[in-house]
Amino acid sequence: MKEKHITEILDNAAIASLSEVELNEIRVHTKDCVSCRDAFEAAQLAAVILKSRAQVTIEPTPFFQTRVMAALREQQAVESVPAMWRLWKSAKVLVSSMAVTTAALAALSFVLPATSTPVDQPVSAYSAESVIIGQGSDELTYEQVLSTIYADDDEAGK
Amino acid sequence: MDLARQAQDGDESAFAEIVRRYSPRVFSVASRFFRQRSLVEEAAQEVFLKAYTQLGSFEGRGSLEGWLTRIATNTCLNMVRSSKRRPELTVSDLTDDEEGWLNQQSAGDGREQASVENSLVAADLADRLLAVLPPEDQQALLMIDGEDASIKEVAEATGWSESKVKVRAFRARKKLREAMEKLLDHRGKPVEQVSK
Repeated sequence: MKEKHITEILDNAAIASLSEVELNEIRVHTKDCVSCRDAFEAAQLAAVILKSRAQVTIEPTPFFQTRVMAALREQQAVESVPAMWRLWKSAKVLVSSMAVTTAALAALSFVLPATSTPVDQPVSAYSAESVIIGQGSDELTYEQVLSTIYADDDEAGK
Repeated sequence: MDLARQAQDGDESAFAEIVRRYSPRVFSVASRFFRQRSLVEEAAQEVFLKAYTQLGSFEGRGSLEGWLTRIATNTCLNMVRSSKRRPELTVSDLTDDEEGWLNQQSAGDGREQASVENSLVAADLADRLLAVLPPEDQQALLMIDGEDASIKEVAEATGWSESKVKVRAFRARKKLREAMEKLLDHRGKPVEQVSK
C-alpha cells in the first residue's frame, strides 16, 4: 500500500515540481523499500533525459522565410487552376446553350436560304404566261426569265 | 494583430514578417516532435501554409504566437501519427554511448559532467524511450517535465482540456519510468545507488 503510494507521487507530477514534504516522504519510504528506490531512481533518470531532450531545438535558417513564401506562391498557383475549373463547371451549361443557339442562328441565316434557292431548276418548268403575270417571279433569276420568254418565241416561230 | 489583419487583407509582406518573427517558435514546437532538420523544416513550412489559409479564422482574441503554436502542435501530431510507433526499447538495443551514459548516471557521477555530448546521448535515449508512447502523451510529458510548462500552458498549446493533459502526462510519466526501470534492472545495476 505504502509502495503504491510512492509510485503515485512519482507519476503524478514532474520530480522537479515535487514539494519538500513529498520528497521527504519518498526519502523515508525508499530507505526500506527496494522497489520504490528503483522506481525513484528511474524517475530521476527519466527526468534528466526529458530535460536533455527539451534542450534540443533546431533553429530556422535565414532562407526559411523565402522558402515559405515560394511555397505559398506555388500553392496559390496550383489552387488557381481548380478555381478556373469550378468557374467553367458552373458556367458551362450557359456557355454551351449560347453556342448551340449561335450555331442554329448561323445555320438558319446562311445554310437554309441557299438550299431553298432553285439554282438548277429546269427552265421548262416556267411558262411565258406565268412570267408575264408575275407568278413565281421572286424565285427566278433574270437569266431564267429571259430564257423562258425566248424559248416560247422560238416555239411560236417554228 | 496589425500584422495579422494586414495579412488577412492579402498583404504578402505582412505575412512574410509573420513567418520571420514566429518561425523560431514554430521550429521550437516542431523540434519536440522531430530531431531531423529536414522534418522540422517540412513541418514548420506546413504550419505557415496552413496559417495563411486559416488567417480568416484568427479573430485576435488570443496572441498570434499562441494561435500559431496550436497549429504547429496539431500539424506535428498529425505528421507523427502517420509514422509507425517503434517497439519497446530493450537493453540489447542500447548503443554503447547510451549504456555508458546510464552507467555513469547510476554511479552518481554523471550530473556534474553534463557535457554537450552527454546531453545529446541523453536526448537520443529519450527519443528512443518516448517512441513507444502515443504522440499526444509524448507531447504532454516533454512540455511539462522537459520544459517546465504548466498544465494550463499545455492545454492552451494543444487545445486539450486540463484534465486530459493531466491524464496524458500521468500515463506517459508512468510508462517512461517503468521503461527506464526495466533498462536499469536488465543492466544489472547495483541496488545501493539511491537518491540523496
